[in-house]
Amino acid sequence: MTRHAVPELDPLIHQPVRLQIMAALCHLAASEQVDFSFLKAKLDLSDGNLGAHLLTLEQAGHIEIEKTFVARRPKTFVSATPSGRKAFAAHVQALQAILRSQ
Amino acid sequence: MDVSREEAAAALAAIQRANHAARSAFRAHRGHYHLWLWGVVWIAMALLAQTRGEAGVRLFPWVSVAGLVASTVIGFLQSRQVRAPVDARFFGALAVLIGFAVLLPLVFRPRDLSPEIAFAYTGLVVAQAYVLSGVWFDTYMVWFGLVLAGLILLGLLVFTSYFWIWIAVCTGGAFLLTGFYVRYYWR
Repeated sequence: MTRHAVPELDPLIHQPVRLQIMAALCHLAASEQVDFSFLKAKLDLSDGNLGAHLLTLEQAGHIEIEKTFVARRPKTFVSATPSGRKAFAAHVQALQAILRSQ
Repeated sequence: MDVSREEAAAALAAIQRANHAARSAFRAHRGHYHLWLWGVVWIAMALLAQTRGEAGVRLFPWVSVAGLVASTVIGFLQSRQVRAPVDARFFGALAVLIGFAVLLPLVFRPRDLSPEIAFAYTGLVVAQAYVLSGVWFDTYMVWFGLVLAGLILLGLLVFTSYFWIWIAVCTGGAFLLTGFYVRYYWR
């Protein structure tokens, strides 16, 4: 099994759950935000698991988390930041480059 | 960071799966529910006019209000899962468009305004709003607005004798088909 050193790969994004989260968030339009519970259900993750990974991604500046109230109930909305979108796109390109390489 | 080709392929497959899941979940928040709803509203109005004549035309405002209420409820429910900030400039532009569209008949003062012409005029304002939305947000709405305008004009100018049936089948159908396209094929 040949291994490749690719500096563009982002180890933080490469983690499987975070990869899923970023893929889902980057699918939204730039101005859109997704509800935490909705995202959790769609990615089939637990509260704790999703929360921990979101925190990691937020600390890296890849996503934004907004806590608000809708109809007097607390709601958390999540979106990918422009730099997060760039980082994810670069990560995908790096993965594709590995596949293309001999 | 060292990654083998097999690992890279697995990661890309995982991204594709997540994209697919996101696409089917998030596209439920695009415009198709509204397109289906307004398709039904337009068909209902056209059939009311065709079957009940003037009495049916007098029900148009009520059918439109029912559509607006249903659209608002759908929008509210969708915004609880996926939301976008309100674009004040877009709604400002839309208000200007509709405001001036209301003023135009006051200038021309049409005396013999038939229900067909009034409906076509309102329909063209709606089509214009779709084109504007498309310029602002999703390009499919530009094409939808242009097709809608073309179909309305065809009905008014060419298929005059069966205008309401034309509106029900073609423009109502255009709403429904575009809804299916957005739901299953867009993006």
